[in-house]
Amino acid sequence: MALYEGIALIQEKQAVVLDLGTDYTKFGFTGEAAPRCIVRSEFWSAAERRVRRLHDYATPDELYDNLVHMLHLLYFRHVLVNPKERKVVVVESLLTPTLFRETLAKVLFTHYEVSGVIWADSPRLCALTLGTPAALVINIGAKEAEVAAVVHSCVVLQALVAQPLGAHAVHAELARLLDEDNGATLDLPDDVIEDIKVKTCFVSPLERALQWGSESPPRAARSVRYSCGARGSVTVTGRARELAAEPLFARDHELASLPDAVLQSLARCPRDARRALAANVVLAGGGAALPGLRARLAAELRRLRAQPPYAERLHVDEFRFHEPPGHGNALAWLGGAVLGASDAGAARALAREQYAREPRLRDWVCLLDNTPPHHPHRAYLDI
Amino acid sequence: MAYLTQPDYVKYICSCGQLKPITSLYFCRHCLKIRCGFCICHEVDSHYCANCLENMPSSEARLKKNRCSSCFDCPSCFHTLSTRATTQQRQVLQDPAAGGDTKVESKQPKKMYYLSCFNCRWTSRDVGIPDQPVASGGWPERTNPHAARVNQLIDYYKAIAQQEKQEKIERERKKFNIRGKYITLTDKTGLTGAMARNIAGLPSSESSSSAIANFVPSVATAEVDELPEDIFTKEVNLNQITSMPQRLASPDWQPVSVSRLHPLAKLLSVKRSQRCRACDHNLTKPEYNPGSIKFKIELLAYYHVPEVKIISHEPVKPGEKTALFLKLTNPTGHEMQLRLLQPEDIPPPEEKEEPKSIDKSLERSLVLEKDTTAFKAIERQPNISATSRVTSPGVTLTLAQRDDAAEYDDDAQHDTNDIILWRKSNKLGVRLELDTSAEAVGGSPARALVALQYSYRNTVPPAPSAAACRDHTLYTTLLLDLGTVSSN
Repeated sequence: MALYEGIALIQEKQAVVLDLGTDYTKFGFTGEAAPRCIVRSEFWSAAERRVRRLHDYATPDELYDNLVHMLHLLYFRHVLVNPKERKVVVVESLLTPTLFRETLAKVLFTHYEVSGVIWADSPRLCALTLGTPAALVINIGAKEAEVAAVVHSCVVLQALVAQPLGAHAVHAELARLLDEDNGATLDLPDDVIEDIKVKTCFVSPLERALQWGSESPPRAARSVRYSCGARGSVTVTGRARELAAEPLFARDHELASLPDAVLQSLARCPRDARRALAANVVLAGGGAALPGLRARLAAELRRLRAQPPYAERLHVDEFRFHEPPGHGNALAWLGGAVLGASDAGAARALAREQYAREPRLRDWVCLLDNTPPHHPHRAYLDI
Repeated sequence: MAYLTQPDYVKYICSCGQLKPITSLYFCRHCLKIRCGFCICHEVDSHYCANCLENMPSSEARLKKNRCSSCFDCPSCFHTLSTRATTQQRQVLQDPAAGGDTKVESKQPKKMYYLSCFNCRWTSRDVGIPDQPVASGGWPERTNPHAARVNQLIDYYKAIAQQEKQEKIERERKKFNIRGKYITLTDKTGLTGAMARNIAGLPSSESSSSAIANFVPSVATAEVDELPEDIFTKEVNLNQITSMPQRLASPDWQPVSVSRLHPLAKLLSVKRSQRCRACDHNLTKPEYNPGSIKFKIELLAYYHVPEVKIISHEPVKPGEKTALFLKLTNPTGHEMQLRLLQPEDIPPPEEKEEPKSIDKSLERSLVLEKDTTAFKAIERQPNISATSRVTSPGVTLTLAQRDDAAEYDDDAQHDTNDIILWRKSNKLGVRLELDTSAEAVGGSPARALVALQYSYRNTVPPAPSAAACRDHTLYTTLLLDLGTVSSN
């Protein structure tokens, strides 16, 4: 025990991994297989006497306050460590707004005085949990479904496709179907809708989904009486259970469904990586946990592959799916935990001193960061 | 405690620009400034279990993943589980050779324990956890099913990082290939190279390469698990499926079915100590004993800053002068001189000219690490848009020191004048005039701004180098919430 303490004194403090999602926040230590807590991204605001969502903000100052409160909750209620002088791995989407990133950096460095922050994007982290050279990451979050191709730990940026097909799209459709089936505007709160979805809904197989669209719909699954306390009970019909997730697969002329997004992303990838990517598909995000979603997506991909416009462009013969070593909703977090545990991640951290000198974050959209060193424009950028 | 349930009618402006009620403010005796939860530094002081009030050293808490080893929460409703005892007749082994003594012993009923929730009636027997022979602890611990794979991944990436580092060093060495004149013995024999590696604490090169060689990347399959056949025909039993909070309460397993729920070891709580960011002194420090709610250090604004309460006020009308009654309280043990001012009249905080001595500059250079830029970054301009102003009466009010015995005196002294309504030990009722601007729109929130100037006696024993200045004149600004502006 004494020896252990000694080692702990010499060693750097175990870093924490932070994934601030739209609906759920994942927070825990590096080197562990699961986050310490998965909590809703909201906190009790004493000044307003209501629960505030982290992502509800109108001004940068409001966002700053939200982040301070949320991190306080995470550090002192859930994980119980001092934020000071401890590194943080921030798991973020590639499409995180710049304001959010910069405010988060400000909060972490100035308010919580962390010693360093490792900024890592979720597609790369998801791919990290597999250990394969190429991976096609389909991340179905709360708001958006993002498809990103990762080849040798590099995200193929031109192949990044995002569609507003997250869990919220499913919730909206489920609420609509429930209203329709119960013949009234139920106006159920979000958490009840989510509970109904989690407990009853599933994604029907391709053949059945096609039958639903035809004149002779299949025999629906059993309906469920769902009681919501004082509001009485709601009938969740088999149709609603089965069709709630259909918006993810609904195709129109814009080709904006989830399987289309996957195929479009593949089509934008370099030709020689496409087969490897299609053979290494991984589904991540809480939205991917719906029963039957993987099977349906696989069937849709195999069907659409042979159809225009993909048939002549995309010469991919097989889709293979990975079984990642963690739950989908915390997969990006797990990647962050693995990255933070190895020295390579720690070496790439943005140190506090560096931030104090120049409060600027690297960003893939910024020309300062993405212009290659020998590019003719580089000379104009290095001033 | 009206403070807990009522809206905060009187808000103080903290030195960082936040508006807070006096109950959530701190007062730093060293900076002589009001601080709030936003602009101070929170620290974890000690871990304890809120259920059994058992203290846990932080190293042990870290090992146990911040969970109490003897208390459990219900996985179904998150209420605390209770340990129930049952008697179980032990199987009596018929052993004719054994003596009478052992027979008596084995016949004794044996106590067995299980966990039960008094709120939702969930028991550890529901999910097939065997009863335990001891009352506390000994419950089966589960490990994450993916833990082995995650460790493999970590080892793999560590090895890769190691290799990268090694290659970098090799490259560097190739660049400056300056070999010594004398080929030392250590260079020639590989044995000492390994030893040097050992001394430096680096893992031997073989192990890192073996971690890379033995690593098996995840294998993708073309088959995906289809929906179970019976999903279209089976009746759904909502009681058998876990809800989202139940799943997320154990992030390692996230059970889908109720039969897979396991007792959740209780999460520890922490006692926090708070520190002023500007001067690094403690503002609050709790006692170590988890059962105690007292503090070793407790610098709350409530004990140092005069408290203002609204007794009553006339309806606020635009462009008119209305009456406002306030109660002022002196919480300190010293007499207090108090003046009401306009917020503009507060003199800007003068930068104290440090006496330039060698001692001081040396001290400065030592504390250079802790700069106040971080504190400056948190500060922001307060958002104060007040419709009314409290006209300053221009007299200095004197408040007596706090006297606990005087609390029992009933009769208030009525040495009234046009400002003072009544006076009772350390409290004072005042009548003030409220000047509302003509532009105020009826129905909009009526807020009045007032500044206080008060004398404060610092009881901190002064540092030997500092001047023995004990009496200070301090300022604070308040925002009073007076309902809405009446429309007529």
